[in-house]
Amino acid sequence: MSISGDTAIAGVGTTAFGKLPGRSAWSLQAEAARLALEDAGLTKDDVDGLFTESQFSEPLLLHGHVLGRMLGLRTNYLSTKSIGGATAISLVQEAAMAIHAGMCEVALCVFGENAKTGMPMLFGLAQMGRGQADEIAYGMAGGPVMEARSAMRYMREYSVTAEMFGSVAIACRRHASLNPAATYRDPLTMEEYLASRYVAEPLRVLDCTIAASDGAVALVVTSAERARDLRQPPAYIAGMGAGDNLDGFRDPTHYTHFAGARSSARAYAMAGIGPEDVDVAQLYDCFTSTVLITLEDYGFCKKGEAGPFALEGNLMLGGALPVNTSGGMLSEANMTGWNHLAEAARQIRGACGERQVPAAEVCVVSGHGGFQAAHATLIVTNEVR
Amino acid sequence: MAHTLTELVMGTSPVVIDETRGFWEGTLVEQLRIQVCGACGNRQLPGGPCCSSCLSQDLSWQPASGHGTVFSFTVVRHAFHPSFADEVPYVVADVELDEGPIITSNVTDCPAESVRIGMPVKVWFDEQLEDAFHQPLRLPKFRPAEEA
Repeated sequence: MSISGDTAIAGVGTTAFGKLPGRSAWSLQAEAARLALEDAGLTKDDVDGLFTESQFSEPLLLHGHVLGRMLGLRTNYLSTKSIGGATAISLVQEAAMAIHAGMCEVALCVFGENAKTGMPMLFGLAQMGRGQADEIAYGMAGGPVMEARSAMRYMREYSVTAEMFGSVAIACRRHASLNPAATYRDPLTMEEYLASRYVAEPLRVLDCTIAASDGAVALVVTSAERARDLRQPPAYIAGMGAGDNLDGFRDPTHYTHFAGARSSARAYAMAGIGPEDVDVAQLYDCFTSTVLITLEDYGFCKKGEAGPFALEGNLMLGGALPVNTSGGMLSEANMTGWNHLAEAARQIRGACGERQVPAAEVCVVSGHGGFQAAHATLIVTNEVR
Repeated sequence: MAHTLTELVMGTSPVVIDETRGFWEGTLVEQLRIQVCGACGNRQLPGGPCCSSCLSQDLSWQPASGHGTVFSFTVVRHAFHPSFADEVPYVVADVELDEGPIITSNVTDCPAESVRIGMPVKVWFDEQLEDAFHQPLRLPKFRPAEEA
């Protein structure tokens, strides 16, 4: 039997996002895990698989072991993974594969962070430089400095303007204004965007993900068969893909084309759909430029046409392809893509209130990171097709 | 050696390892070196334990011309790491060497606003420093080259 539609996201738990002083990352992860199980109508004794990504603040080896012990789990499958911004989707994919293979039946996927008010992320930042051939010696520290080289080349090769980048930030902020959980909810104008300071040209502050958020997200993944008997409408995992370009910025093509093209092609093929079938997308938005390049990689626009597409308002609710309906990492919270997965499942349920996309039957989610090297795609649907 | 661990975790100097030793030794004699595969001729940076094209371990370090062009760059205006607080604004650039490989470094000796994609640059070597294990090295940096 195909894995497409054989598993589903059956539970979603999210804590508050933003500044949560006094809450450890562990405390937030425990809360999100409990909320996700309650949402699904399950208890912790139903869980037999745990899939985790370690926080940057208070990082520990063997993160999954520690969290599993704290949650009192007895697992048949345990995984802790670190592939940058693709980790969230990759863990959900691994959960689906483990369930499909019979290795476990109810998987809990968890991430939580208190980098905003807890231990600073400097350790992580320093390590980000280290991973790239001593580049930190030249001041290559911090995500925006790394990604700016891609944005600069992309603007130059495809005549992309600052306003095109800005239209991504504005769409995310518009959606965040409809999301009570979002960190930044005040409307954003193009004038305000253009007036925001550069951090690493051509990227402005408002091109960048919220630098750090406290909060946690947990997802329950189980078999489609079991999900149908649970409390919430299942978000069926119809398509999965992944692709990496581990050569990164040593590869001249990598600046303007990510591995998202390969990753999404595999996910579309598994789901038996194409970009024209997608109702709503949650695209990894570490930077506005990343969203535009991903729109092209995913076949929503031809190469070089994502900027004008965004500028026309197509990423907004009511547009041709609503993107990042929670506000994403640009305006909701920096949950390294986990909030995109929570939003995808909620859109498929039709549970997003004012920011709900009407008749959202197919949602695409992208995850992207680790110096732009790793990419993963998930397609969730409201029915098994 | 008291500060080695701190320097390793929070420092910004490169760490000389077996895979990059030939590169950093070259900088001490003001030579920009590229790792060349003896089996297939592939040229790569940074150095690795094998050729990323054919996996041969028949590798050597060969001098490069030190000339290249700016493939992409950023003007950094916010110091994300405290060590660079006094440096902003500075230019981080990926330089495509005439021999092929792309190297990340700084473009110096010109206004940040004047840096452009495609701009010809030439290597120079910054003052000698030590890594966390007291191994000497000099950072190769780039400045505008005379147009041919």
